[in-house]
Amino acid sequence: MSEAAISVRDLEKRYTTYLRRGMFRRERRVVEALKGVSFEVRRGEVFGLLGPNGAGKTTTVKILCTLLLPDGGRASVLGYDVVEQAPDVRRRIGVSLTVEKGFFWKLTGRENLTYFGMLYGMDGRRLRERVEEVLGLVGLTDLGVEDKLYEEYSLGMKARLSIARALLTDPDVLILDEPTLGLDPPSARTLRELLVRIAHDEGKTVLVTTHNMFEAEIVCDRVAIINQGRIIALDAVEALKRRVSDRVSLEIVVTPPAHVRVDGLLARVRGEVDSPADAFPENGTVRLKIVQPPERVEETTSRVLSLLHSMRCGIRRVEVSEPTLEDVFVQLTGRTGF
Amino acid sequence: MGVKTLLKSGIVLDLYFFKNNRSAFVSMLIWPYLTLGLILGMGAMFGSAQAFRQNVGLPVNPLTYFVASTLAMMVSLDVMWGVGGSVLHHRWIGTLPYVLLSPNRTSVTLVFTYVPRYLMTAAIQLAEFAPLVLAVEGLSVGTLKLGVMALAATVGMLPLLGFAALFASFLLSIKEESNVLSFLNPLILLFSGAFYPAYLLPRWAQLISAILPSTYTIELARVAALIGSPELRRVTLLIGALVAMTALYNSASGLVIEAGERRAMREGAI
Repeated sequence: MSEAAISVRDLEKRYTTYLRRGMFRRERRVVEALKGVSFEVRRGEVFGLLGPNGAGKTTTVKILCTLLLPDGGRASVLGYDVVEQAPDVRRRIGVSLTVEKGFFWKLTGRENLTYFGMLYGMDGRRLRERVEEVLGLVGLTDLGVEDKLYEEYSLGMKARLSIARALLTDPDVLILDEPTLGLDPPSARTLRELLVRIAHDEGKTVLVTTHNMFEAEIVCDRVAIINQGRIIALDAVEALKRRVSDRVSLEIVVTPPAHVRVDGLLARVRGEVDSPADAFPENGTVRLKIVQPPERVEETTSRVLSLLHSMRCGIRRVEVSEPTLEDVFVQLTGRTGF
Repeated sequence: MGVKTLLKSGIVLDLYFFKNNRSAFVSMLIWPYLTLGLILGMGAMFGSAQAFRQNVGLPVNPLTYFVASTLAMMVSLDVMWGVGGSVLHHRWIGTLPYVLLSPNRTSVTLVFTYVPRYLMTAAIQLAEFAPLVLAVEGLSVGTLKLGVMALAATVGMLPLLGFAALFASFLLSIKEESNVLSFLNPLILLFSGAFYPAYLLPRWAQLISAILPSTYTIELARVAALIGSPELRRVTLLIGALVAMTALYNSASGLVIEAGERRAMREGAI
C-alpha cells in the first residue's frame, strides 16, 4: 500500500463556460482551473491547500472526492485511483464541501445524520451509537442542539454538523473544503480547535482547503499554496515561514474613500514600493501588507503613507511585525496579483 | 449495501419530515380531495352525470371514473417529482454531492429511497377515496374497483420509476437548475390522456402517448371504473404493456443515469 494517503500527480482540469451575448448568441470560453497540480498528503497529517478564490482548491477537492473527472494527470486516495476505483475511494473518505447547506432543513441534526448514515449503509445499533458519538465529538451535544431543526442552526452549528457527517463512517481520510468559510471569528476558532483535536485524537488524515492563512498556520502540519491552478509552494508551515525569515511585514490598515477601489489602491502601492505587496479588504477597511528587508521599512513606510495621504485614505493602523504564513503568501503571489 | 437499508432510509426520511412538518402532512391529505373536487367541479360546468354516461357510452359512475383518473394522474406526477425532481431538490438544498457519494449506484439510490414515499402516498390517497367509491358503488363492487386501482398504482409505478430516472439523468447532466418539470409534467399528463382520452389526440401526439408509461397507468386506473363492462378484458393487456415498459425503462435508466452522472462529473455540473 502507498505511503501517501493522498497522491496527486500533474492534475489538469479545464472547464468550458458559455458567456451569453444576447438572446441567441453565446461565446465559448475554456478556463484552465488546474495546470499540472502535484502534491502528496502523508498519513495522519493535516494538510492545507491554501489559495485565493478561484485558485483551483475546490476543483482539486472535487476530483479527490470523485465528484469531478480530471482532464489529465492522476490522483489516488489510500492507493485507490479516484477515476478507476471511485467506489473504493468513496468508501474511505469523509467529505464536507459546503458548510451553509447540504442537509434537510426540516430535519434535526440527529435525524439528518441518521438518514445519511443509512444512505452510506449503516443501520441499527451501530448507526445509533455512531451518531451519538460524532454529535459529541463535534460538540453539538454539549450545545444541546442535536434535536433542533437544521433550519434553526447557526452557521457555526451547520459547520459542526457537516464535519459530523464527514466523520460518520469513521473514514481514514477527511476532505474538507473551506470548513470555516463565512463563520464569525469565535465559531471559526472553535471549529479550528475541533479540527486539530479530531485529526490528532482520531488519527485521521485531513486535507483542508482555506484561503485563510491564519487558519492554515494554526491547523496544518504542511501547506501547499495554490494560485491560478498551480502549486507555487509546498512545505511545513515553519519551513515556509523561514523563506521570509530575513523579511519583516509592514501592515497598514486604511479606510479608503468611496471612489477608490481595492485593486486600484493596490496597483498604486505596488507602483510605489519595490517589494511584494497585497491588499485584504476587511469590514470597510483595507489591510495593506508589504513584505521587505528590515532596512527598507522606514523609507517604504514614509513613501506609502505619503501616497495614502494623497489618495485621501484614512490611516487606521501601521505595524511592523515578524513574518507569518500570510507573508509567505504575499511574497509568493504579491507581484502577480489575483 | 442492500436495497433494504435504502428503503429504510426513505421511510426514516419521510417519518422525520412529516413529524417535524405537520402542515405538509395535512396538505398531502387535502391535496387529492382538492384535485378531485376541481375535476368534478369543472366537469359539472360542462354537463350532468347523465350526459357524461351518454358521452362515455357505458354505465359508469362519473365519480368513480374521476377518482380513478385523479389517483392515476397524481401518482404519475408524484413519481416524476419524487425521482426525476429529486435531483433538482437535492441540488437546491446542497445534498446532491453527498447522495452521489453514497456507495450505491445513483439510479438505485434515487429510486429506492423514493419508493416508500410513493407507496405511502398512493395508499393514503386510495384510503381517502375509498369511502367515496364504496358509497357510490356498494361494498363488493366498490372493493373490487379499489383493488384494481391499487393494482394500477402499484404496477404502474414500476415503469414510471425507470422513466423518471431517465429524466433524472438528464437533470443531473445539465448545469441548469430551472425547474423543467413544472412545464413538462402538464405535457406528460396531456399526452397520457389525463385530460382527453389518448385516442382523441392527433396522430403524432398518440405516438408520444404510446411510449409514455403514464398512459397505461391512467388507462388501467380508468378501467377500474368500468369493471363489469367488456372493457375489463383490457386489464391484462395494459398490465402486459406496463410490465414490458418496466423492463425497458428500468434497464435503460440504469445505463443512461450513469452516463448522465459521468457527463456531469466531466463538466463540473455537480
